[in-house]
Amino acid sequence: MLEYQIFFDYTPMLLLGFWLTIKIVVCAIALGIPLGLFLALGRRSKFLIVSFLSTSFIEVFRNTPFIIQVFLFYYVLPFYGLKLSAEYVGVLALAAFGGAYFAEIIRAGIDAVPKGQLESARAIGMTDWQAMRNVILPQTLSIVIPPLTNQTLTLIKESAILSTITVHELTMTGLMVQGETFRPFEVFIMVALLYWALNETVATLMRKFEQSIKKKRNPTSDSNSSSTVEKSEGTK
Amino acid sequence: MTSNFLEIKGLHKRFGNIAALNNVSLNVSKGEVIFVIGPSGCGKSTLLRAVNWLTPPDKGEVWLEGELVGSSSSKLTIKQSQLLNGFRARMGMVFQQFNVWPHLNVLENVVRAQLVVAKRKRADAESTALKILDQVGLQNKIDEWPDHLSGGQKQRLAIARALAMDPTLMLLDEPTSALDPELIGEVLTVLKRLVNNGMTMLIVTHELGFASEFGDRLLFMDGGEVIEEGPPKKILTMPKTKRLKMFLEKLDVTSFKKEEKL
Ligand SMILES: Nc1ncnc2c1ncn2[C@@H]1O[C@H](COP(=O)(O)OP(=O)(O)OP(=O)(O)O)[C@@H](O)[C@H]1O
Ligand SMILES: [Mg+2]
Repeated sequence: MLEYQIFFDYTPMLLLGFWLTIKIVVCAIALGIPLGLFLALGRRSKFLIVSFLSTSFIEVFRNTPFIIQVFLFYYVLPFYGLKLSAEYVGVLALAAFGGAYFAEIIRAGIDAVPKGQLESARAIGMTDWQAMRNVILPQTLSIVIPPLTNQTLTLIKESAILSTITVHELTMTGLMVQGETFRPFEVFIMVALLYWALNETVATLMRKFEQSIKKKRNPTSDSNSSSTVEKSEGTK
Repeated sequence: MTSNFLEIKGLHKRFGNIAALNNVSLNVSKGEVIFVIGPSGCGKSTLLRAVNWLTPPDKGEVWLEGELVGSSSSKLTIKQSQLLNGFRARMGMVFQQFNVWPHLNVLENVVRAQLVVAKRKRADAESTALKILDQVGLQNKIDEWPDHLSGGQKQRLAIARALAMDPTLMLLDEPTSALDPELIGEVLTVLKRLVNNGMTMLIVTHELGFASEFGDRLLFMDGGEVIEEGPPKKILTMPKTKRLKMFLEKLDVTSFKKEEKL
């Protein structure tokens, strides 16, 4: 039997955790996308040291488990005198992890723009950055939205791992409520529903955004763009 | 001064063991229209792309109006690459594949580089763009997206985009080769107007009729070298070398005849 009272009694608490999850993910994305852009551009830099560092960052964060990254951030940073609250550590870890994936998505998007576009921009006198900014990246946008959305959904789900470093986000709150009530079914159904609702909302909004860009330009509708979606998802 | 408006000195470029350019030199006077012909892979595109340093040559120099555009002997410093961007704006380039910018509408395609490269005010850039779009016959398409344009319209847009930078030289790489036959005429009309306005141009083309009528000089290239050079009519009717004779024979004679009537 479901105990409906739990839904009423603990919803405010869960919503508080949910709100923290939203805030953490929003901050992580706000940091992660610029980081990803920086890494993607860094990777193709003509300065070897920049491209080497960018590539290393991307490879390390893509090829290690997120939970280990979180532990490293949480337990190692204080050794270097950087004492941050668990929430901030969570945001940084999520941003670094997300940034590495965003970088690869953006790079794939840049590569998908025909070579002649960069050439025509350079031939008219634009610098490399002006060409990126005015010609290449805007065309990358409609290509990268689907994979960026996927990665964002992954980040939302991965943020649950931050419960292991005592961040009081949704999963942590769920664990606490379950500890008090011993009703795992009710509790985790609610937690799952909240994650689902958030992801569904993000996915819908991004689809709308993508369509509005496509409709404006109404191009020869290349729906192959979603093939750049990353095949691997965070948790292994 | 006029005789060395554009000076190309001893350009060499290799790709692996292919010599795309093998010691190509050329002096172009202001207002001169030079056509470049030659078999596929002979280095025509590489020559144009070396002139604006899009493909930096291994050896050689390019001078525009007495200023050094690029020299293979010196590495590009930040200062030089800034100068280079200025030179590029003065050398309008038109590509076979148009390369118009699909995310910008027609007007913005012509406006953007004026803002970003020439640092013009938007109002000035737009009025320049409107004037030039009018000249290429796209005045009714200013709000249109490039994906809705025909090939001929796209190429006229690409020409307008280059002209908006007030170039002193135009580099055109097979501007009509990607077009359906019925669309070639509208682009040639625009190019003819440029010739009549005294624009200095370097044009790679297979349109021999156009070349012989409007060219001051014709270059025949093969294997990365300029094999023959001279007045187009003379070169085309009295080829000196066997290579040019063979090249002309291979070209579709009927299409040559047809174009000559244009
Ligand atoms: N980026 C490159 N990398 C390797 N080889 C190249 C490159 N660009 C050109 N080449 C080679 O250099 C030679 C000259 O090429 P180029 O494009 O200048 O010829 P073209 O005369 O323009 O030919 P087409 O009529 O086919 O356009 C060719 O053999 C080509 O394969
Ligand atoms: Mg070519």
